[in-house]
Amino acid sequence: MNAPVAAADLASLSMTEAADAFAAGEVTATALTEACLARIAAHDGVVNSVIRLDRDAALEAAAAADAARAAGRPLGRLAGVPMMHKDMYYRAGKVSSCGSHIRRDYKPAATATVLERLDAAGAIDMGTLNMAEFAQNPTGHNRHFGDCHNPWNPAYCTGGSSSGSGAGVAARFFYAALGSDTGGSIRLPATLCGVTGLKATQTRVSRAGVMPLSFSCDNVGPLVRTARDAARFLGVTAGHDPRDPTSAREAVPDYEAALTGDIRGMRIAVCENWFLEGADAPVVAAFEAALQALRTRGAVVTRIAAPSLRAIAAYTALVSRVEGAAIHANWMREHPDDYAIHLSARIYGGYAFPGHLYVEALSRRGPLLRQFVAEALTGHDLVATPTLRTRVPTLAETDIDADPSNWSRFMAVSANTRPFNYLGLPTVSVPCGFDDRGLPVGLQLAGRPFGEATVLRAADAFQQETGWHRKAPAL
Amino acid sequence: MEPDRVTMEAIGRWSGIALPNEAARIGLADNAALIAELEALRGGMGFEEEPSGFEAALRDCKEPGQ
Repeated sequence: MNAPVAAADLASLSMTEAADAFAAGEVTATALTEACLARIAAHDGVVNSVIRLDRDAALEAAAAADAARAAGRPLGRLAGVPMMHKDMYYRAGKVSSCGSHIRRDYKPAATATVLERLDAAGAIDMGTLNMAEFAQNPTGHNRHFGDCHNPWNPAYCTGGSSSGSGAGVAARFFYAALGSDTGGSIRLPATLCGVTGLKATQTRVSRAGVMPLSFSCDNVGPLVRTARDAARFLGVTAGHDPRDPTSAREAVPDYEAALTGDIRGMRIAVCENWFLEGADAPVVAAFEAALQALRTRGAVVTRIAAPSLRAIAAYTALVSRVEGAAIHANWMREHPDDYAIHLSARIYGGYAFPGHLYVEALSRRGPLLRQFVAEALTGHDLVATPTLRTRVPTLAETDIDADPSNWSRFMAVSANTRPFNYLGLPTVSVPCGFDDRGLPVGLQLAGRPFGEATVLRAADAFQQETGWHRKAPAL
Repeated sequence: MEPDRVTMEAIGRWSGIALPNEAARIGLADNAALIAELEALRGGMGFEEEPSGFEAALRDCKEPGQ
């Protein structure tokens, strides 16, 4: 057995560091789990990221992992690593609230495929996390379970809808968390909380056993501390699933093997239109510094225009709003008062969109993907943008329930992330600095379909160059 | 009848859903921004006549050599 890792440092390990330390016999799963539980006990009173903590079950699973390793049994790639997940991933017989009052007692009959794959890899599931009600807001407000608070400053938004996932990974409560991303719900909390979030190619990861929000744009993915964590997590969870006939049959490569640190000659496009329109100065400054870091590693950055983005943004909003309205129609008829004000207000507008425009938006999706790839990714490997155009907003200034005039600020949060859901492109967000109020700024990198290895290689090289991902909030 | 009321009445008749709160009126009014975006696209965009499956486009647009 190698030298043990100091207990005080355990919660600060990345997911892959924790998994590798366990596999090497440097730490026990019990010690990793106890370190996470101690962090939650000490600090979740401020952050409010946890909905259900399965403490005893987590410690039993950790003891079983320790026994398996001691017996020399084969270990999965995530063996012994404590995680928690957004409360919309179904586990048979366990309540999955979806962050709502309407589903406060909902117990699904089957377990999500992605949870089964994490279980098979040896991950320890400690429970479920706070989220936007039905994954329908980009800020982290929740009327039923209380707002989730940003660990860097509790007055500020965590981003949503995977609010507890982003806040908890940032607060060192666990090493990884599933989020979901329909318009930015992984990448936004990753950005606002200063962690790494990956939305893979549409269809790359099974959605079986996952609460739907928009059939066309929903994605499953991780919030973690490093690009290497995201690579391993994706390698475990990606691949065709017979329970999800929409999942891709593309082979799953070894994503970690792609993390060479070498991005010399990689061509990165910056779209001068859309992503930087109205961007706050501190965000632009951090973004430009991030581009310089990529150049330092040998990447070539080019400024381009992508005229298709205006249509893409309009169609994205149309598709996700109409599909969300369809899913919620029965509850909106029968239990409208069981929704938070901001949610029923948002869903309601979706019933006004004409059906022919929804069909047009879906029919144009393939052609617009081809057009965007021709504009931005032909001659380039990646597109880079700020993940959020503005500085991190406060919870108060985006609270529609308290003041409906906050509507436009609330809706603007996902302007830079939504287009990649309509396009279905793999996209990662990594921390790239802080704004003038001490809140994190994120760099978003998008690649071609099924090009996650390239996206993650660039993100990993960036993290090797900069170290922003190692910064932790002082709770 | 103001246009807002027409829309709300149509939602009620087509979907059986009533205005849930005053914030929803702001949300409905916010559709005007999206309508303006779609108006600006008229003539340049429309229904795609040729077979154009999105999943096929994902496969076709992969990295060269992948």
